[in-house]
Amino acid sequence: MRGKCGLFFESYRAEAAVFQSGFQKTCLGLFVAALLLSPWVLDSYAVSMLNLICIAVIGAVSLSLLTGVCGQISLGHGAFLGVGAYAAAQATMHGVPFLAALLLGGFSAALAGMVFGVPSLRLKGIYLAIATLAAQLILEYVFLHWESATGGSRGLIVDAPQILGFSFNNERRMFYLLLVAAALSLLMVTNVLRTRHGRAFVSIRDFYLSAEIAGVNLFAYKLAAFGLSSFLAGVAGGLWAHYTLFLSAEQFGISLSISYLAMIIIGGLGSITGSVMGAVFMTLLPEVLNGLSGSISSVLPDISQHINALREGVFGLVLMLFLIFEPEGLANRWRLIKAYWKLYPFAH
Amino acid sequence: MKRMFRFAALAVAIVSTLALGACGGEKKDDKAAGAKEIKIGGIIDLSGPTSSVGVPYSEGVKAGVAYLNAQGGIAGMKIIFDLQDDAYNVQQGLTIYKKFAQDKVVAIQGYGTNVTEALMRSAVKDEITYFSASYSAHLTDPKTAPFNFFTSADYSTQVRAALKYFKENWKEARKPKLALLYPDHPYGISPIQATKDYASELGFELVGEANVDLKAIDATTQLLPLKNKKPDFIWCGGTTPSTAVILKDAKKIGLKATFFTNIWGSDENLIKMAGDACEGAFSLQAAAVYGQDVPGMKTILEVSKNQPQMTHYIRGFVSMLAMGEGIRLAAAKGPVTGASIKAAVETMKDFDPMGLAPKISFLPTDHRPSMAVFLYKIVGGKLTFVTQETLDRKAEWLGK
Repeated sequence: MRGKCGLFFESYRAEAAVFQSGFQKTCLGLFVAALLLSPWVLDSYAVSMLNLICIAVIGAVSLSLLTGVCGQISLGHGAFLGVGAYAAAQATMHGVPFLAALLLGGFSAALAGMVFGVPSLRLKGIYLAIATLAAQLILEYVFLHWESATGGSRGLIVDAPQILGFSFNNERRMFYLLLVAAALSLLMVTNVLRTRHGRAFVSIRDFYLSAEIAGVNLFAYKLAAFGLSSFLAGVAGGLWAHYTLFLSAEQFGISLSISYLAMIIIGGLGSITGSVMGAVFMTLLPEVLNGLSGSISSVLPDISQHINALREGVFGLVLMLFLIFEPEGLANRWRLIKAYWKLYPFAH
Repeated sequence: MKRMFRFAALAVAIVSTLALGACGGEKKDDKAAGAKEIKIGGIIDLSGPTSSVGVPYSEGVKAGVAYLNAQGGIAGMKIIFDLQDDAYNVQQGLTIYKKFAQDKVVAIQGYGTNVTEALMRSAVKDEITYFSASYSAHLTDPKTAPFNFFTSADYSTQVRAALKYFKENWKEARKPKLALLYPDHPYGISPIQATKDYASELGFELVGEANVDLKAIDATTQLLPLKNKKPDFIWCGGTTPSTAVILKDAKKIGLKATFFTNIWGSDENLIKMAGDACEGAFSLQAAAVYGQDVPGMKTILEVSKNQPQMTHYIRGFVSMLAMGEGIRLAAAKGPVTGASIKAAVETMKDFDPMGLAPKISFLPTDHRPSMAVFLYKIVGGKLTFVTQETLDRKAEWLGK
C-alpha cells in the first residue's frame, strides 16, 4: 500500500469489496469496539437514544433501498413498519420464539408491501406517492379495527424479547440486540446493492425505459424492491414492538412515514451512509431542541410556553435549511469534509 | 457508499458524544437535589395537536406542586417537578420517560392516551407511579396497567353517568333515541362499546352512528341522515373543536337534540367557538369549573392569582393533590419509592380534593378513582353545574 496516493484496484473483486482499505477496516474495528463498550460508559438515557437510533437506522435504510436506490417513492413506510410490529407481537404472544417472530413480522410486512407495491407498475412519481399514501390510510384503519389481531383501540401488550431463555429486559441488553439487527440490515442492503439485482434497482431509478430495454423485468424488480424494503421495515417494527412493549395504532401514523422520508432525504437519497446519518440526525434533533428549549426556559421561564410552540417551527426550519444548503444530504457533506482533510494542508 | 461503514461509525460516534454531553447537563441537577426532595416528572403535551388543553392542564399540575410545596412539602419533602413536552408524539414521550427513569423519578404526571399507553409497560418495569390525563377505561384495570392511575371517572363511566341521568329524567312513554358521533380514533372508539351496552340495558334506542374526524371542518354529511331519525340525545365523542363543528352544523340544518360530550369534548373554549349553537349542550366533567362554589375554590383563586382558568387546570391541580396524598401515605409507612407510592395510592379511601372533584378511592384490584361524574349544562354561555351522578362500582365494568 505504501507509496500510493489513492486507492488503485487491480481486480474487479477488490473494487467491489465492502471494505477497501486497511485504514477503513481499522476505523470500523475501533468504531464497533467503541459501540460495544458504549453501554458500559453511557447512562441509560443515552443508551436508550442509541436504541431508538438503531431502530430508525433499520427503518431508514429499508426506505432508502426502495426510494433512494430503486426510485419508488413510498408514503406508507410507517404502516409497513406497523404490519411487522403487530405480526411479530402476535407471534411472540402465541409462543413463537423471538427471532422467528421477528422474521415472521418481516415477511408479513413484505407481503403487505408487495400487495401495495403492485400499482408501482403503472404509477410513477407523485402518483405512486398517493397510491402508497392510500396504503398508509388503509393499514391504519386495519390497525384500529381488526380487534382480534391488533387489540383495536385498546392496543397490544408485548413482552420483552427472549432468546434461548435470555431476556433482553433492560436498555443495555436491548442495545446489543438492536445493534446486531442494525448491523445485519446494513450489511444485507450493502450486499444487495453489490449484486446484479442491486444494479437493476438503480437502473430502474435512473431510467425505466433503458432498464427494460437492457432486460430488467420492471414489474418483478419493483415488487422485489417493495418486498425487500418492507421486510426490513417489518423487522424494525418487530424490534420497536418488543422495545416499547406496547403497540397502538397511533404509533404508525403518517407522521412516522414522513419522518422516515425526511431521514433519507436529509441523509442523502440512495446512500446507505446517508440513511444512517439521517436516522441519527432525525432521532437526535428533537432531543437537542428539547435540551435547548429547556435551558432557555430555565433562564427565561416566562417565555417557556412560546418556546415549546416555536420548537416545532424550528424543527421544520432546520429541515428546510438542510434541503436548501445541503441538497445532496449529510452523506455528501461528509464526503467533502473527508476530501478536504485527505490532502490537508495541501489542498489543490 | 464505498466507505459507508466508516462514515456511519463516525456519525454515530459524534451522536454518542452529543448524547453524553446532554446527559452531563442533567447530572448537575442531580447534585442540586438533596435528601429532602422528591422528584416528579411531567410528560404533558405543551405543543402539538392537543396543546390547547394540555397547557392549562400542565399549569394546573404546576400550581398543585407550588401549593403542596407552600404547605411545607409532603412529609417535609419538597417536590421538584420537571415538566417536559412530548408534543403528542410517542417517541418523544419515550425519550423523556427514559430520562426520568434514569433520574430516578418516583412518579410521573402524564397526559395523552398514546404516550401513556406506550409507557404503561415501562412504568411497571421501572416501578414508577404514573398519573395520566388519559381516562381510557382499560387503564383502570391493574392487571394490564398496575402502575397507572388517574383522578377522573373513565371515559366509559362518564357516558354511562350521562345516560343514567337522561333516562332518569325521561318523561315520555316512548324509548329515548340515541345517536353516536365520534372520531375513528382510539380515543373516540374507547367508550363506544360500553355506551352501546349500557344504552340498550337502560332502554335507549340507538338510531344512528357516524364518524366525525377530530379535525373535521364540516359535519353536515353525518348530521343530515340523523335529522330524519330524530334522535333525542347525541353523543359527541371528539374534542372541543370537532364538537363545535357538530353543534354549529346541527344548528344550521335545524337538528334539535340534546348533545353531550365528555371531559375533552367541551370546555370553556366551546362557548367561544360555537357561540349560541352550544346552548343546552351537556358537558361531563370530573372537576369543578372556575369560580364554582366549592370549598377548594378559594385555594384555586389564590394559586391562579384570580386569573380565570379552564376546568382542565383544576383537574390538573386535583391530579397533583391526589398524587401528593399518595406520596404522603407512602412516606408515613416508610421510604418513598415508585412501588411504595403505588401501594399507598391503592389504599387511598375517599380522599377529598377540597371538593374540586368527586372523592377519590383506589383499590389494589380496581384503579377506578370514582364512579361519580359532574354534569354541566351550557346555559347563557356558561358551564352551569347540574348534578353529580354516581354509578355503582360494578365489577364487570372494570377496564371496559
